[in-house]
Amino acid sequence: MLWILPALVLIGSLILYPVGYAIWLSFLDKHSFFPAERWVGLGNYLKIAWDVEFWDSLWKSVVYAAATTGLQLVLGVAAALVLHATFRGRTVIRALVLFPYMIPTIVAVIVWRWLLNETYGVVDHLLLRVGLVREPIVWLGVDHMMTSLIAVSVWQFTPFVIVSVLARLQTIPLELYEAARVDGAAPWARFRHITLPQLRAVLFIVVLLRSIWMFTKFDTVWLWGEGAGAGREIRTLPIYAYMRTFTYYQAGFGAALAVIMFLLLMAATLVYFRLYWREEEAVA
Amino acid sequence: MIRRYMLVTALVMATAGAAGAADKKVVRLWQTETEPQTLAILNQTAAAYEKTHPDVSIKVEGLAWGDLERKLTAALAAGAPPDAAHGQPITCVSFAAKGLLRPVDDLADSIPRDDLVDAFRNLCRWDGKTYGVGHSPASSVFVYRKDLLAKKGLKVPRTWDDLVQVADALREVKDGQVVRYGLTMTGQPLFINIGVGELLKTNGGRLFDAEGRPTLTEKPVIELLDFYKKLNRVLPPGWTGHAYLDTFANLANGKAAMLYQAYGRGVGYIEKYAPKEIADPEHFAVADKVIGPSGKTPAAQLDCEPWMVFKDAKGANEAVDFLKFFFKDENYIPYLHSVPIHLLSIKKSTSRSPKYADNAMIGKWRSWIDMQEKYFRNDWIKPVLVTDWDDMKKPYLLEVMGSGILVDMVLDSVKGMPSAEAAAKAQKRVEELLASAGHLKK
Repeated sequence: MLWILPALVLIGSLILYPVGYAIWLSFLDKHSFFPAERWVGLGNYLKIAWDVEFWDSLWKSVVYAAATTGLQLVLGVAAALVLHATFRGRTVIRALVLFPYMIPTIVAVIVWRWLLNETYGVVDHLLLRVGLVREPIVWLGVDHMMTSLIAVSVWQFTPFVIVSVLARLQTIPLELYEAARVDGAAPWARFRHITLPQLRAVLFIVVLLRSIWMFTKFDTVWLWGEGAGAGREIRTLPIYAYMRTFTYYQAGFGAALAVIMFLLLMAATLVYFRLYWREEEAVA
Repeated sequence: MIRRYMLVTALVMATAGAAGAADKKVVRLWQTETEPQTLAILNQTAAAYEKTHPDVSIKVEGLAWGDLERKLTAALAAGAPPDAAHGQPITCVSFAAKGLLRPVDDLADSIPRDDLVDAFRNLCRWDGKTYGVGHSPASSVFVYRKDLLAKKGLKVPRTWDDLVQVADALREVKDGQVVRYGLTMTGQPLFINIGVGELLKTNGGRLFDAEGRPTLTEKPVIELLDFYKKLNRVLPPGWTGHAYLDTFANLANGKAAMLYQAYGRGVGYIEKYAPKEIADPEHFAVADKVIGPSGKTPAAQLDCEPWMVFKDAKGANEAVDFLKFFFKDENYIPYLHSVPIHLLSIKKSTSRSPKYADNAMIGKWRSWIDMQEKYFRNDWIKPVLVTDWDDMKKPYLLEVMGSGILVDMVLDSVKGMPSAEAAAKAQKRVEELLASAGHLKK
């Protein structure tokens, strides 16, 4: 028992206590920086159920998480397949591909906000120059705020998928491909019947982690919308929970939003695991 | 032996030094003037104060204006606020009402009452006590390119409708692309809140009635939202994403001909980025704020953060003592000169002082200062979200600003929602917010 005590203390203090405290807080009407509190039971949850802003931010979270995870997956797998092939300069390209994932979020956001600014940004300048658009696209305005955020997030986080998939690709026995080739399998058939099944486990983890991380993503979203009225177009659930806690000063309400976020993710993860296991059993 | 002796001596001295530093009372001050030259002056003032108070260490930190409320409340939530800080006047009242602040009547009394510029006597008072003393007042100003208006034979706009028409006429298109917009405004949430309060005042409107109930469905607010719809057609298409500094850049580099929510600070950007031959008030002139269809007088936003001292701060008394030192002319004038057209004096005697007037920028851009002082004299300035000084008795304006409800109202309207519907939606949300905090009966 003594051997696992340090682990239990760590788990208790760093995971169980904060989660437990957030759950406890969600049953209270508590100001963000005053000790006074009032027990309201499920009051905060009932308010949330009727709160239009909550449903709006939930929808925005789902759109953001689904779009970014989907695009990261497609682009990440494609890029990993390209980088798995043999060509000159492969090592350098592999190193460069990791670059967006390594730079701090604040730097990525500032640079992209400059690049996409419709009055002096390079992106619109180039689009206008090659004649693809007649007027600058307002990437940071109300109409394209979510699109530009998704694009930047995909740019920033796709390297994680590339690295994970590439690592798995390198362990697939080459004999499988040789045998398929001998049997006359075309490239698409080899990808579908060998590569994809071999990638199943890693893709399962990648989808799970990336969707959780994108659903709870705070820094990129916050920084992208900060200082702009149009930022409300990307007011996802984590941003809304922050706002309720630190600008409305409703710590209980904010905690209830965080708990709901946690429960939604737990439910989605359970469903996902179930589907995966059913699939595994069918394959077996 | 000598080496060992030196080593021991060094160790003893280092230990004594560390102990000395540890004995000093550290006083942390958060303030919103982040320009390097201002920070340098503040640090010099702190160093001068420390010379006569060797037991005190003054740490001055600069915070971006738009971040101030969020950072202060986050620090309060974490139980680690600074000893003293700037805040919006409504922040100061909100904190005072919550019992978070130490009264600063002693600081206010250190400035003779008849020396204080009239409009700022009641900047932050609660229950008969003073909780904040403004560091320096400024008024938002309307800036226009005099040369461009003259070239097109346009008159300076006086009304909301004039502003839209003149902005439209000033727009310049070359090869199918807009090369200059008639008007630029920021879409930063803080400034939309400021704009709502300021424009509503020019339209004879209000945000709250005498009982504290929101009045967002009243005619002046609906007219205001209709005005935003019209502005949206003449502003750069990405204005909702433009930061405060972007609008100065637009004006200085000729991308826009007028800037509605400018401040004296903008002069620095004009001097730095506009072509040298036009970087003067003959080209970048100031005019009165435009008046709405239901209004009679112009109005502007008062930019004057009071110094607040936190009640439980360990260095509260030292912070007040340091601030008294800060307001002495020998320290205060260099501070004001660090951003000369923006940092005006809260003391009449300083404004009249030859030492204060002895500044090239003040001489050159005098018209900008005169315009701000005209608004002070006529009481045409109010803090953010305040349309009447009695609003300063409402301790919940900070929460209304932080909620972003008014920003959403403006953007709903700009995005096409009928003004009356956007106003009704915001009205309901503000009522719920105030009711949940116990400020309004359901």
